[in-house]
Order: sequence, then structure tokens, then C-alpha cells
Amino acid sequence: MYKKTLALLLVSLMILTMAFTGCSKPETETAAPAEEIIKVGWMGSLTGDQAVWGQCELDTVKMLFEEINAKGGVLGKQLEVIGYDTKGDPQEAVNVAKRLTGQDKVVAILGPNASGNAIPIAPVLEQAKVPDIATVATNPKVTVLDGKVKPYNFRVCFIDPYQGAVAAGYAIEVLGFKKAAILYDVADDYSQGLTQFFEEFFVSKGGTIVAKEAFKFGDVDFRPQLSKIKDAAPEVLFLPIFFKEAALIANQARELGITVPLMGGDGLPSEQLFTMAKDAVQGTYIVNHVDYDDPEVQDLKNRYKTKYNKELELNGYLVHDAVVVFVDALERAGVADSVKITEALETTNVKGVTGQITISKDTHNPEGKDAAIVKIEGDRYVFQQKYSAK
Amino acid sequence: MSRFLQQLINGLSIGSVYALMAVGYSLVYSIMNFSNFAHGGVIMLGAYFGYYYLTKLGLPFFVAFIASALTTGILAVVIERGAYKPLRERKAPFLYFIISAMGASIFLENIVIATIGPTFKSYPEILSRTPIQLGSVTLGRIDLTMFIISAICLALLVFFIDFTKMGKAIQATSYSVKASALMGINTDLVIIVVFALGGFFAGIAGVLFGMKYTVYPQIGIITNKSFIAAVFGGLGSLPGAVVGSILLGIIETMTSGYLSSNYRDLIAFVLLIAILVFRPSGLMGKITEDKA
Repeated sequence: MYKKTLALLLVSLMILTMAFTGCSKPETETAAPAEEIIKVGWMGSLTGDQAVWGQCELDTVKMLFEEINAKGGVLGKQLEVIGYDTKGDPQEAVNVAKRLTGQDKVVAILGPNASGNAIPIAPVLEQAKVPDIATVATNPKVTVLDGKVKPYNFRVCFIDPYQGAVAAGYAIEVLGFKKAAILYDVADDYSQGLTQFFEEFFVSKGGTIVAKEAFKFGDVDFRPQLSKIKDAAPEVLFLPIFFKEAALIANQARELGITVPLMGGDGLPSEQLFTMAKDAVQGTYIVNHVDYDDPEVQDLKNRYKTKYNKELELNGYLVHDAVVVFVDALERAGVADSVKITEALETTNVKGVTGQITISKDTHNPEGKDAAIVKIEGDRYVFQQKYSAK
Repeated sequence: MSRFLQQLINGLSIGSVYALMAVGYSLVYSIMNFSNFAHGGVIMLGAYFGYYYLTKLGLPFFVAFIASALTTGILAVVIERGAYKPLRERKAPFLYFIISAMGASIFLENIVIATIGPTFKSYPEILSRTPIQLGSVTLGRIDLTMFIISAICLALLVFFIDFTKMGKAIQATSYSVKASALMGINTDLVIIVVFALGGFFAGIAGVLFGMKYTVYPQIGIITNKSFIAAVFGGLGSLPGAVVGSILLGIIETMTSGYLSSNYRDLIAFVLLIAILVFRPSGLMGKITEDKA
């Protein structure tokens, strides 16, 4: 008998954990009665490789909404965030978008951070006429497809061509490297986009790509590719990927005796990078959205640290600006209506912590944002200079 | 030549990781005839146990290493008692075992995410990251250690299976559970021992894995490759699992090194499928050779 009970207990425990983590449980905070609440959706990874970033985004949104609500809210109403987990899965992102627009009736969605998840939700947004403000989704296809702007997709970050061009330009013009190697994720939109634009710009400036190697999401061993890269003797190794693989690659590259500096995009900066590969990533150059030492960001950084006792990840800065852009559009629209908010978003011109955000009507991207080049020294991202590629 | 040697060393070191994990699959398959997909979850927990024994309890490395292997050994038996034994008693079809195994695997991953969190943990530096230089070829200290530990463990396992009474019982049970039970072998105990062994190996693989890479809840994904290696070598055959794993490691690195890393998985797996077409039971499958 006890065996049956044990089995039953285990099974129910499994179902419970699945219910808690597997299904996307809405994370909401409630305050006022329904008619005085404006519901805003959020989506991103709360589980999986990028959960660190997703959790930070959602926490930041909650913190900002609490602060806004404490000051009386927007248009006299309280803001409420409804956050769902995309698990980093494009299919799940579509489900989440459907749920937010169809069931929860949000007026706008913040996030997701990953391009791969931001791209497939467009048809859902168009059908529901609800705008989305992506945070760190840098692939061009997030807002523009086949030369046509997607009516309900916006973002607050610069895009991959720009990021790839900035990395290539900085490597060749400022650092004077002529030979670069690339190691990228063949199964990822972000990585492929960045690789393509880095390569084009680097070659057009007279540099050579001496090795271009690929891996697939889920890999943990990169020495076959790195051995090949070592033979090609590059002056810099460009990693257009996320921090987990970058950290593993950095460790393995140093083990194989590759001593050249590494370089990467906005997928790299994370506190986790230092946990995983502090020594190996020293001297790495990163094209980032924000300069962490900028006096303008200190306030946000400290508020977050006080509240959650954690360091603010890059995503926190971008989601902060997504909130700023949303609140500004909501105020200018004057009414919590998703179509009116979309119209207002098209003429956005506000100052965020990552710079001035002027949304272009034709691309729905913030135009002319400077990139911040930072270099890893010790466990800090030391600001080098603002750089824009021409 | 040095390039070839370097890639061969890379391949051997990747292959030996696969081998440690593939052995767990094969052991269970040889007795129970199903693929224990919870194995990846146990490996992941092994990595976490090792991490906490080292950092929180401050145990010396060797003690922490053995302790986590013992813990996962016990854990594997607990999973068997909870998730498989009830099915076994009801003589459920094998499909149910596989589904139960997948459930256990998802359960383990999510319980770690829910309790410990999704962040990455790094082992303290036990072995220097400075590699050993052999001419123009570099050899990582962790890789070498892993290779040696894997070899020792696999040798001990073969010794255990071939020369002890319990090992003989495992061999007999893998031929026929029913007949062995009729001959007076306590097959329930054999199954416990097999899971404990599988779990023990999972713990060893997990700690080595955590040392070499890092620890995070999805680390068990890598076992997909070792499962494929086990099939390739012949599920149910221990030498097959080892040979299959080493071959898969070398094929992968050679494809990356000489053809294209873009097509690594494509070429490696087309090759595997081709081999399976001609030898459906794998290189050393149980149709042609002794199991276990």
C-alpha cells in the first residue's frame, strides 16, 4: 500500500512542479479595482539559458510600475504587469502573445529580449492590434520584413547591422586588427545576422576573415573549431553569441593557447560571464547598449540593487527604456487604447538611460543611437568610447 | 600532422565524456530494455552535488567526488523505486517506462530551476587551466584527468561485471529476467544494483562535467549525444557504448576540423545512420554479442 502512496505522491509532485514551472503561470501584481488598472504584458525567458535576463527584465518592470503607481500612476490609473515565460521558444512566444492579447487584453507588450522570439509574434500583434516594444531584439526582421515596416512591432535597441558594423569598424579602425576569426551559432537568427554584417563591414574596410566556424545551440565543447581557428592565426576572435557559450569558448580558447583578444556584441555582457570565465575574458571588447559607468544610469542601477540585492543586467536598462517609451506614448495617446498607443509610439522622442530614443516611422527602430564600447578589466566593464559606424 | 593530433586529442576527450554517460544508458537498457532518459537529469544533479560538497561543505576534491557519485547512485535507485518499479509490477508496456523516464527528467530539471535557480555555477579551480604542451599539441589538464578517470571507472566496471558474483547475476538477468529469477537470482536486487551503478557513473560524469564546463539546469541535454553514441555502439553492450562514444567524438571533431563545422552534425549523423542501416543492432549490439 505504501508503495502506491509513494508513487502517487511522486506523480503528484511532478505534476505540481510542472504546473509551477512548465506552464506559464502569470506573474501579476494587483492593486486597484479593474476599471482603474491598465494591463501591460511582458514576455521573455523565465526558464532556460536566458532566464537570468528574463527574470531581471520582469523584476525591473515590476519595480518601475510600483514606483509609477506610488506616484499616482499614468492618466490617473494604476499600471499592472502580466508576465509570461516564453522559455526562449518561438512557438511558446506565439502562444504567450495570443494569451496576452486575447485573454488578458493588455494594451501593449514589453519584451521579448530575443530576436528569435520577437519575430514570430508579429501576426498575432497585427490581428489583435496591440503594439510590442522589444527590449534587446536586435535582428532587423523584428520590425521590418521585406522592406515593409511591421505596424505593431517597435524596439528600443539598435539593430544587428549596426552592431556588427560597429564591432568591425572599431576592430579595424581603432584597434588596428586586420585579421579576424568568427565563431558563431549556426542555428540562431541573432548570431547569423551579426556575423553577416561584421563580415561585410570588416572586409569592406580592407580586413580579412581568416576563419569562420560554427557551432550549434546546446554544444559545450568548441575545441575542434578553436583548433582550426588557432591555425588560422587571427588577431581578434569575434563571438556574435550569448554569454554562456562565450564563457565556455573563452575558457577553451585559452586552454588551447589562443591569446588574442575576444570581441562580442550585446549578447555577452552578464554578471554570469565572470562567474564562468573571469580570467579568460579579460581584455574582451564588447559593443554594448549602455555604459555601466555613465552617471545617468547609476540611479537605476542602485534602485534595482537596493530592491533585489542583485546586479542589474543589461536587459534591465533596455526594459527600463521600453517602459519609458510606453509611458510616454500612453500619456500622449491620452487613453489606454492599444491602437492610439501604437500611433503615439510612431512619433516617440524621449530620453532613456541608454540614450535619446527617437523612433523612426519607417523602421520602428530608434535612429542614430550611439553604441558604447566597453572593455572587460577585472570584473568590470570599463567604458572605452562611444562609437558609431559610418 | 600536429593539426591531426590536436583534433584527435579533442575527439578522444569529447568521446570519453560521452562514454561515461553512455555506459549508464547501456547498463539499464541491458536489463530493462528501455532507455532511461532520466539519466541526463541525474548527471545534472551529480554536477550540483559535487559543486555544493566542494563549496558549501568544503570537502576535499576526492571526497566530494566520491560523495556525489554515491549520492546520485542512491538517487537513481530512488527514481527506479518511484518511477519504474510500480510500472514493472504492473507489467506495463515499455513505452510507459520511456514516458515515465522523460517525466522524471523534466521533473529533475524543473525542481532545480525552482529551488536553486537558473543561474550558472562555477566549480572552484581544482586543476590549473594552463594546458600541458606536447610539442605543438596542447593537452588540457582537466581533459587528461577526465580521460584517466573514465578509463579507470570503465575498467572497474568491466571487472565487476566479469568477475564478481553480482556481475554474473547481472549478465544472467540481461539474458532473461524470468529465467534468472527461476534460477534463484534476486532480480529485484540486480535491478537496484544496476541503477545504483548507473547513478554512480552519472555522478562521476556530472562532477567531471561541471569541472570542465559549468553547472546549469540544462546540462543534461548533452546526454542526447551520448544516447546516440550508445545506440551507435549497440544499446545494451558496454564495450559498444565506449567504442561508439569515442568514435562519435572523433568523427565530430574530424568533421569540424577538416570539412566544416557548419555540417558537423549533418555529416556525423548521416554516417551513423549509414552504419545503422548495415548493422541495425549497432556496432556491438546484443544480437551478435553478449550483453552487459
